[in-house]
Amino acid sequence: MSTEIKYAPAEVERRAREFWDSERCFEVGEESNADKFYCLTMFPYPSGQLHMGHVRVFTISDVIARYQRMQGRHVLQPMGWDAFGMPAENAAIKRGVPPAEWTYQNIDYMRGQLQRLGYGYDWTREVTTCRPEYYRWEQWLFTRLFRKGLVYRKNAIVNWDPVDQTVLANEQVIDGRGWRSEALVERREIPQWFMKITAYADELLDCLDDLPGWPDSVKTMQRNWIGRSEGVELAFDVEGEDEPLTVYTTRPDTLMGVTYMAVAAEHPIARRRAGQDVDIARFIDECRTMHAAEAALETMEKKGMPLGINARHPVTGEAVPLWVANFVLMGYGTGAVMAVPGHDERDWEFANRHGLPVVQVVAPADGSEANVRNGAYTDHGVLVNSGDYDGMTSEQAFTAIAERFEAEGRGRRTVNFRLRDWGVSRQRYWGTPIPIVYCDECDAVPVPEDQLPVVLPEDVRFTGLGSPLRDMPSFYETTCPACGRPATRETDTFDTFVESSWYFSRYASPDCDTAMLDERESYWMPVDQYTGGIEHAILHLLYARFFQKLMRDEGLSAVDEPFTNLLTQGMVLKDGAKMSKAKGNTVDPQALHRSLRRGHGAPVHDVGGSARAGAGVVGRRCAGGVPVPETLLARGPCTSRGRCLRRDRDDQAQRGAK
Amino acid sequence: MELLNAIGRFDDSTAEGRAVVQEALEAIVLLLAPIVPHVCHELWAVLGHDKAPVYADWPAVDESALARDLVEIVVQVNGKLRGRISVAADADRETVSRLALQDDNVRRFVADHPIRKTIVVPGRLVNVVGSGPPSCCRSCRWQPVVSSCAERLNCCRR
Repeated sequence: MSTEIKYAPAEVERRAREFWDSERCFEVGEESNADKFYCLTMFPYPSGQLHMGHVRVFTISDVIARYQRMQGRHVLQPMGWDAFGMPAENAAIKRGVPPAEWTYQNIDYMRGQLQRLGYGYDWTREVTTCRPEYYRWEQWLFTRLFRKGLVYRKNAIVNWDPVDQTVLANEQVIDGRGWRSEALVERREIPQWFMKITAYADELLDCLDDLPGWPDSVKTMQRNWIGRSEGVELAFDVEGEDEPLTVYTTRPDTLMGVTYMAVAAEHPIARRRAGQDVDIARFIDECRTMHAAEAALETMEKKGMPLGINARHPVTGEAVPLWVANFVLMGYGTGAVMAVPGHDERDWEFANRHGLPVVQVVAPADGSEANVRNGAYTDHGVLVNSGDYDGMTSEQAFTAIAERFEAEGRGRRTVNFRLRDWGVSRQRYWGTPIPIVYCDECDAVPVPEDQLPVVLPEDVRFTGLGSPLRDMPSFYETTCPACGRPATRETDTFDTFVESSWYFSRYASPDCDTAMLDERESYWMPVDQYTGGIEHAILHLLYARFFQKLMRDEGLSAVDEPFTNLLTQGMVLKDGAKMSKAKGNTVDPQALHRSLRRGHGAPVHDVGGSARAGAGVVGRRCAGGVPVPETLLARGPCTSRGRCLRRDRDDQAQRGAK
Repeated sequence: MELLNAIGRFDDSTAEGRAVVQEALEAIVLLLAPIVPHVCHELWAVLGHDKAPVYADWPAVDESALARDLVEIVVQVNGKLRGRISVAADADRETVSRLALQDDNVRRFVADHPIRKTIVVPGRLVNVVGSGPPSCCRSCRWQPVVSSCAERLNCCRR
């Protein structure tokens, strides 16, 4: 080329952006004959600033979108805001700004950042989950599910985070601590709304086999989370009880090795005994304050107490002592277990601690010795010390014992899931109001469709001591939609995972004010390529799949699975840890400034020498990550895009790219 | 990167040569457009296009351009690289072998030693294998196949 051209990035990038904006290059309708391609990234929480993790994941998605576009596809790439959540409340407490105001300011600022980075988004489809136009449809769906019996309210023991003053989902408890506050979680009993995700457990599990475009690691995590097991329910008679005690076991072949039984602290038998015995009552109270998370159950001290009554072994008729124990969960199976210390590690540990007998009833199939004095033998094998069942394999004994109990009417084969129903109530202000009214006469009544949305008041004084909705009679005082008498509104709000469970469909018809989704949904769904952080492998992706099936069964969609291809993406780590302002290990953007002034490129991930991609979590609700500095936006979107992608070559956590 | 290096080495200022460079640069800009769209938007205009790359199609592979007229073949003498020849891509074995033996350097190494066989791997290489027991005789460039001291002095007939 003969003419000398000087590269002025700011000018070049401004010109390109202005062209795309003025031409509306990325605004798409549904009229094209070309194959559609729906390219989506997990939408951000408007925390105030984009961080480098955002830039990375959005860039990957944008490259895919632009590539597919050049392949001749009709590409939709939308963007929106997962706008409810606790940081807004925390900021409100700290700065005295109402959560709504703080959130909308952040959205405006971050939208500007995204636009300057030049992503090819269709901004006409922007979705903001804290807007009544959005959450009214979520409330609507909830009332529909109420009528179908797919949501219900029950007193439940919940994970109570004493620092954030809220209930946490099981998934939000990590090693017995709150996922954000890291405070030790307590057990409390509170009336809660639940969504019956367990009603879809089988389908959620089976459909994983039809997702070749998903990374195996994510599918495995979901399978384990759903945790399907086949077992047998067996009935044991108990002294002084009219009803037999039913236990669920996946190992009925070890029945002859039962040396004691244990029930959960909340089990009716334990409660009855507590009424007769002060020590037992005290122990049950103690259990209540212990941690409910299942992960904690693995590691916590196994405590228990004899109830002073015996069950009767259904085959030998021998007396089997009945205990109450903290590791038995009321919510799983029947809240009672038969304990086989010879062949179960937890039972073995408990038996050793409390001097209970250990009996071997299964021997290794290869004829080798297994000494159950030294530890439980948990593998399958050949039955010994089991009377009629001696010599059978574990599998044969499973069938024989199951059939025997079924014939006697004392048991049945059942399938159990580890997956629990989804507790969606949060004692928080900044969320979608749960559309329920409580009436003394009519109990819980869903808000009728023509009275939706239940609008969250945005102009509040926020102190952080409980939800301000509880101090607002103008919000909670209402009349019963059924009988017209004075009634009270629910002041709890939805878990914010509810909003992110269906936003991907709403992008297809973001402006529809007559229905949750309209016919445009069938043009765009399912999402062809979904990109986001690996930390959402279980929670968000499982709930989103669940909601897709709920919307399908509501006749809103014909799609079974929302995301055809999934690309999970590592997080930007620093020194092997997630970055968080709380931990004080974020990268100083001033350092980036200085290095840019010295005329280096944009050493995006290299600042500080060690910020790099890896498998980890930058909590989206934690104020975390490396902020995107102004200089980067001004001088080098292209540079940062290129850098982000180069780093991916050695990113072990990224898989499933198409 | 390899394409850029190749273009850098490409030295042909004829109209045809410039057209080749233009086409290669266009391909590069389009290939990079999804990754660094802003700068490619600019470069595309510099290359003389009115229509923005955001509307362009992904470059198609031109199969006919991949068919090469001439291929380079390496020539070995007793397994050692001694020359490179350019032959028609569809040349038969005899032609390739004849051209290999006409190469100056190859001839120097073969000299008048008897040739036992000539191995031709089409499109890749020719290996000329000599017979007899050549040795470490310094006066001749015939490379030894076996080193037997007894035959050392007899290997060179010059």
